[in-house]
Amino acid sequence: MTRALRHTWTLAAHDVGLWRRAPWAVAAALIPPVALGLLLYILTFNLGHQPIALVNEGHGRYSDHIAGIFQAQAGDIYSLVTTDRANAMRLLNSQQVAAVVVIPPGFDAGVARCPALQPDQIIRDYTYARSGCPAAKLQVTLNNANNNFADEIRRALSETVSFFDAPDVITPVSETQLDMSDLNPYRVNVMTALTRTSTVDYIHYAVIPCLVLLILSVGVTGTALLCARDIERGTARHLALAPVSSVVLVAGRLLGGVLVSLVVIVPTLAIAALTGMIAPPAGHWVPLGLVFLATSVCAAGLGAVLGAVLRGTRAVSMAAAVVCTYLFFLGGGFTTIQFLPAWLHRLTAFVPTSYAIDGLRQSLFYPRLFGFGADMRVLLGTAALAVVAGGVVVRRAWSR
Amino acid sequence: MTPTLTALGGGFRAEIQQLRRSRLLIVLTAVEAVTFLVLVSIFGFTGTHVPTAVVDRDGGKLAHQWAQEMTASYHTYGVRYMDARSAQEALGRGDVAAILYIPAGFSQHMAQHSMIRIHFLVDNVNADLTTEVELGIPPAARAFGVANRFPGIRVVTVEKDLVRHEVGFIPYLVVSALALAAFVVAGTLAASAVAREFENRTLAYLKLSPTHPLVPLAGRLLATSAVSAVAVAVAALLVVAGYGVVPAHPAALAAALLLCVVIFSCIGAGLGTLVRRTLPLSALIFGLALALYLDSGSLEPARFYGNRLWVIAHTSPVYYAVGILQYAVHGLRVTPETIPVNFAALIGWAVLAAGVAWLGLRRAVAS
Repeated sequence: MTRALRHTWTLAAHDVGLWRRAPWAVAAALIPPVALGLLLYILTFNLGHQPIALVNEGHGRYSDHIAGIFQAQAGDIYSLVTTDRANAMRLLNSQQVAAVVVIPPGFDAGVARCPALQPDQIIRDYTYARSGCPAAKLQVTLNNANNNFADEIRRALSETVSFFDAPDVITPVSETQLDMSDLNPYRVNVMTALTRTSTVDYIHYAVIPCLVLLILSVGVTGTALLCARDIERGTARHLALAPVSSVVLVAGRLLGGVLVSLVVIVPTLAIAALTGMIAPPAGHWVPLGLVFLATSVCAAGLGAVLGAVLRGTRAVSMAAAVVCTYLFFLGGGFTTIQFLPAWLHRLTAFVPTSYAIDGLRQSLFYPRLFGFGADMRVLLGTAALAVVAGGVVVRRAWSR
Repeated sequence: MTPTLTALGGGFRAEIQQLRRSRLLIVLTAVEAVTFLVLVSIFGFTGTHVPTAVVDRDGGKLAHQWAQEMTASYHTYGVRYMDARSAQEALGRGDVAAILYIPAGFSQHMAQHSMIRIHFLVDNVNADLTTEVELGIPPAARAFGVANRFPGIRVVTVEKDLVRHEVGFIPYLVVSALALAAFVVAGTLAASAVAREFENRTLAYLKLSPTHPLVPLAGRLLATSAVSAVAVAVAALLVVAGYGVVPAHPAALAAALLLCVVIFSCIGAGLGTLVRRTLPLSALIFGLALALYLDSGSLEPARFYGNRLWVIAHTSPVYYAVGILQYAVHGLRVTPETIPVNFAALIGWAVLAAGVAWLGLRRAVAS
């Protein structure tokens, strides 16, 4: 038993040494996760900050009030330039702003025509309601090149305009706080409650899963290249003839793949922890380690299958990059799974990386490890399956 | 036939034979290109149609209208009617991101214009999702109030759109992704063709050629460009057939994609000369494509990111390519520069990339 373990360890250590001496293989494994991490990091800065030009041609307290609301909300949901109409249109035409909002000269008169609600006012005047009131009009000129950012702007403007009439349509506070709802013409007060005690900022939520991609990419590419190399150079036959049990040899190869992943992820985690990029709640380092270990075993098993089935190191490295990318974004690494359509959402349930990513987020961001047990059961089951499949395929490839 | 043409044709044929022997690599390269289309499509789902459960305890007409306004307001919510228990279970499973409880008596309250409180439970899985979900409520409330002419609404917006037919986000993204698909395919194949000469140490033999040693290599690059052009055409057809996107100016689309293939083949040749190993090339090009994606106006006009990023975007050929592609397919103007200027910039890039690749290869052959 000790001898078998020693042989396994020797082969694994040898594989790690081989991988370390192949800088291009290391580069092939590291470049996609690093680039994707960078992409996600920069994308988060571009979310929800569309540039808008505000032209205030009104003269009066209502114009100033709504202009003030625009100023106050700028930065949170859009960026704002206050200018005159001619310059605003020039900015719109040269794409320096995505929309121009004009508070027209008659704005104050328009607002004054429709009286605001009074505290405790219950409206039962149906004639008044049916006829409606010719409300003041904000003129919006919008560059609607695609509906995503155009809708973002419309939503943001609607939020601002709603705030003018009813600052409390949404009340994300406790019921005991001041309630101005009687002044609200929309007649609804939406009381928001959050299910989780802490809300993770989007940068961490989006970028941290790249650690799963990193471990996946290094594990799959590393193990696959080692297997492919053995077959390409004919050294696989030597392994098959070695006076050591094939189980030991296959275990050594898979352990090598796991170690290769750990060689990369451990220093990365250490740097991330030291720089404050990650700060798991107390007692969550063990679950975190378990997620990485299980993922690296899955990666090694998958890499062994790829390396043994495909011929040639180039094909293996390309296939590994493609497989890892799909596993990553179908697992919810590139987007929030809740946003996906139902069919795609259901598909993610069959992607093991979704459990790794969820487990990682649970152990890093949330104190209660909600659903972590289920994540680990699926992940460890997949790891066991990957090891068996990888072992069988590698053994067969060596015998050919 | 002159020796130059013979050498060029020889290089072309040799590369075609090489590619025919490595069909798996071509398939994988094409898969990498399609991966971009899939990746951006999935990204396109972010921020819209958030699955939201509506528990309608009122059942009246106005309650139904409220939920419909939620669906209609700027694509924020994908409303699903559920009972309270199913909604809680769906929220726990992550099948919905929020639950809106419309209380009993809602319709009556609305008909009488009296205040009512609605409870909204949000799975605050991350700040972005939470903000999106919360920001969608005021527009829905406003739309409902305006539609029913509620008194006290003193301000409305009157919108004038610059574009008559608004393009969906995913059709917009996949068109931009075609430029990156061209980069991945043409770059990888050209870089591999050049790097293989270094790896197999066959570059020295080229010096024995009766013509300039780079001519046979140019023939190889012509072959990779031809194969890349076919692969990119397939990707473009996939966009047309799969996403139902019909190009407004097909000739401009073809010209832009061909220019992209030429530019990216030359850039690939340069990378192959630099790296001289085939193994990391596909990963390197895949990574570079992601970096180019950042700042090319692939998501929205690049200038909306701010002037600094917009100036940086000009250093990438993808910026000009996206400008032409969006015009060619959707008829959109997404760069302040005109289409002829974008074409001129791409041609300039092609000349520059070819020159740099030629110089790099000449230096490598000489050494």
